[in-house]
Amino acid sequence: MPSRTDYATLAFAYFAVGVTVSVAMLDAGASIPKTLTAAFVVYSATPQLAFLAVQAAGGSVVIGVLSGWLVASRFGILASSLGARYEASDTERAAAAINSFDPNVALAMQQEKTSDVRRVFWLVTASLMAGWWIGTVVGIMLGNILDNSDALGLDAVFPAILLAIIGSSLRRRDGLTAAVAGAAICAVLIPFSPGGVPILASALGAVLALFVATSDSPTPDSPTSGEPEGAGS
Amino acid sequence: MSWAVIIALSIGVAAQRLIGMFLAGPLLARRPALARLADLLPAAVVAGVIVQLTVADAGRLVVDARAAGLAVAGVLVWRRAPLAVVVIAAAVVTATVRAL
Repeated sequence: MPSRTDYATLAFAYFAVGVTVSVAMLDAGASIPKTLTAAFVVYSATPQLAFLAVQAAGGSVVIGVLSGWLVASRFGILASSLGARYEASDTERAAAAINSFDPNVALAMQQEKTSDVRRVFWLVTASLMAGWWIGTVVGIMLGNILDNSDALGLDAVFPAILLAIIGSSLRRRDGLTAAVAGAAICAVLIPFSPGGVPILASALGAVLALFVATSDSPTPDSPTSGEPEGAGS
Repeated sequence: MSWAVIIALSIGVAAQRLIGMFLAGPLLARRPALARLADLLPAAVVAGVIVQLTVADAGRLVVDARAAGLAVAGVLVWRRAPLAVVVIAAAVVTATVRAL
């Protein structure tokens, strides 16, 4: 069972993510209604940050959306591992799928009893959402006040959050290989390709890792490996 | 970010979550290579996004204060620091280097 400290730490982590995504959206010129709506319907930080990164690089809308979808493949994997242990009606399973984030799936999967899987999942979800929504609103207020968020170093916060999100993958040799290869492909292509294309091409890093790092990884159905620090969103 | 983009991203994210919950388990169980690829894809693409956000200025590679912030964040993630610490350290280091 997660402790009270776990719940508080996760709520604070999601508060930080909520703040930064809101500030990033407003910085990129989105209106307040759009920023709020996106937080509610996209319901995940990484696809928004990926789209904004492509946009900032001068990439097309299509490439931006494709990049957003690619990074969101993480949520399909999270929902898939949760689905294997989440026993309930189809409606409730759908609700759980929509609410899949890294920490709530990781902590739910650590429970031995099936009934605890559901209970812990929703308790963690509640604390994530408390942090996320307060953070989103605070970020909107902050984004309106700040003239130059770069002076506060906020532009480095987005990649730092992304790094923390893939932190548990980086501890595995194949995950690290995929990330390093993806980063290298992107960096090499940036000076030569149209905006956003390098981000799409970084997906090839996963293909490369598949061939390079063979047979030394844990089972592919446990991507989150149950680390409560996993703070992705 | 236009409304169309918000809708497209929403559909893409929700669809992948629902497919994961209802379909991916049996599908990926029969295709282990595909399962591993799906498992590795997020780390590769997110790393690409990190590069774009950290060492690029539109279509040019640049090393500036952001790289310093990310380097510190990398060490903290490796040492399993809480996300809030990672976030604050990245911002403070970047702002400090930039102000120098």
